[in-house]
Amino acid sequence: MVLSAGNRETKVKPLAKTTLEAICEQMASHAWSDRELEELVDPKLGIITGFQDLLEELDILRNTDLGTTPPALGVQKS
Amino acid sequence: MSSEIAFSDVRSLKSLLDTGRITPTELVSVFSGRIKSLNDISRAFITVTAEEAANAAGSLNKADLSKSSIAGIPFASKDLFDVRGIRTTAGSRVFQDRIATEDAFVIDRLRREHAIGLGKTNLHEFAFGATGENEVYGTCVNAYDPTRLAGGSSSGSAAAVAFGMVPAALGTDTGGSVRAPAALNGLVGLKPTIGRVSTRGVVPYCWTLDHVGIMTRTVADCADILEIISGYDPQDPASVSLPEEPYSASLGADFSGIRIGIPTRFFFERADPEVLAALELVKEHLSSRGAMLLPVTLPDMEHARTVSLTVQMPEALSAHSAYLEEHGHLYSRDFRAGLALGQCLLAEHYVKAKRFIECYRQQTNAIFRDVDLILTPATPEIAPEVGTVKTTRDGVSEAVGNAITRFTSFFNMTGHPALTMPCGMHSDGLPIGLQLVGRYFEERTIFQVASDLDQTEAFSIPLPKTDC
Repeated sequence: MVLSAGNRETKVKPLAKTTLEAICEQMASHAWSDRELEELVDPKLGIITGFQDLLEELDILRNTDLGTTPPALGVQKS
Repeated sequence: MSSEIAFSDVRSLKSLLDTGRITPTELVSVFSGRIKSLNDISRAFITVTAEEAANAAGSLNKADLSKSSIAGIPFASKDLFDVRGIRTTAGSRVFQDRIATEDAFVIDRLRREHAIGLGKTNLHEFAFGATGENEVYGTCVNAYDPTRLAGGSSSGSAAAVAFGMVPAALGTDTGGSVRAPAALNGLVGLKPTIGRVSTRGVVPYCWTLDHVGIMTRTVADCADILEIISGYDPQDPASVSLPEEPYSASLGADFSGIRIGIPTRFFFERADPEVLAALELVKEHLSSRGAMLLPVTLPDMEHARTVSLTVQMPEALSAHSAYLEEHGHLYSRDFRAGLALGQCLLAEHYVKAKRFIECYRQQTNAIFRDVDLILTPATPEIAPEVGTVKTTRDGVSEAVGNAITRFTSFFNMTGHPALTMPCGMHSDGLPIGLQLVGRYFEERTIFQVASDLDQTEAFSIPLPKTDC
């Protein structure tokens, strides 16, 4: 089982605020302010380490083959 | 006498109660006095229930006191735990008027055994963050140095025990929020196996990763309290039905021949050299006691934080969805930023992250076929100064909250039991901690080794010098 995608390159385009605005407008969403969407594109608070970086890493995860591994559920005594 | 009581462990206080050298009312009075004197400095408590505690203490008779190891002992709970008739703020303006109508499962367990709740402790708002900074209720400081952070998110629970305001406290741990602040404050902190302790009646942050945890002065106290609060809860879907165990029976038991895994990467990297040196002494001691130290390779941690965050934020958003429309303006900016991120992640991202967690679990379980425990430092750094935004180690800069929980958060994903405890003092006068991780539902093995370390003079640390 391979968990590291190594040096695989992602094809995520640079995130634009208009993309997030469109998502929030067209899909069921809570009301996020301009400033909050701006924070996702250009983080200043330091809590979220850049949505762009996260999306790029998520793209690597998305392309990692986990076989038939299911999502984590409860644990059992082995 | 007051100071002596304030820094006593639960078992010692219980002995005083059992022999009549102190009454529950006097005990409550001592700790209430400490809270009154020290809460402005420590910011440990959001709500103090001194009057209710005094009434409960006054009503206890001899038969009540003989009922359990915790009867007559004051404790505190993080302000995420519902206590009937008392507000649960979750450290937020959003819940400032939310009065609980029922006790959380673990509060009910403790109250049935006649433990005495002395109040609700401060936290990072809704447990979102590891520094314990809170713009509404103040930032908890470290008992060893008030210019340093207590750490979080169970900051108030750690400060309450470390400042001698209660001998034990409950917290929650989603990425290290019990273990890390316990370690930074020289305490024992336990995150039991996921499903071992019910989370019913605890304000959720992330159902997949949330655990109820315990903070105490000693390993023995921790084992005693776990005996009381663990157990099957049919109303918690994650709760696991297993026979209850006498954890205290494993304390002090010989562990020669035990196999302890030492991670070959990540957990002993990018850490304060004094932390690593302290862990070397622990390894030497364990070897001298007959433990076999074996190198182990844990799963690749490269994407672990991303996996954790990708599960946390959509779950947090879902948990808060009901409040956002009406009370959205009352959330802090950083938490709202996290929730907004949760809104923009795709369902496929979330499911993939949960599949990664299953992989982490399988890989970690495979390691536990070869070893009985894993030893790591609790945190890579000692308690940071209040206001610190980033830490830099070996040329790598990292958000301070991420640094605090770098060695703990992985085991929230795997769900394995993990305990942190002090193992030395840094030259800056702050505690250094270690972490022991065990197999699912084998907390007793952790207690077995941890109790030996707890009794070893070389790893004992001085009490903090609080002004009271």
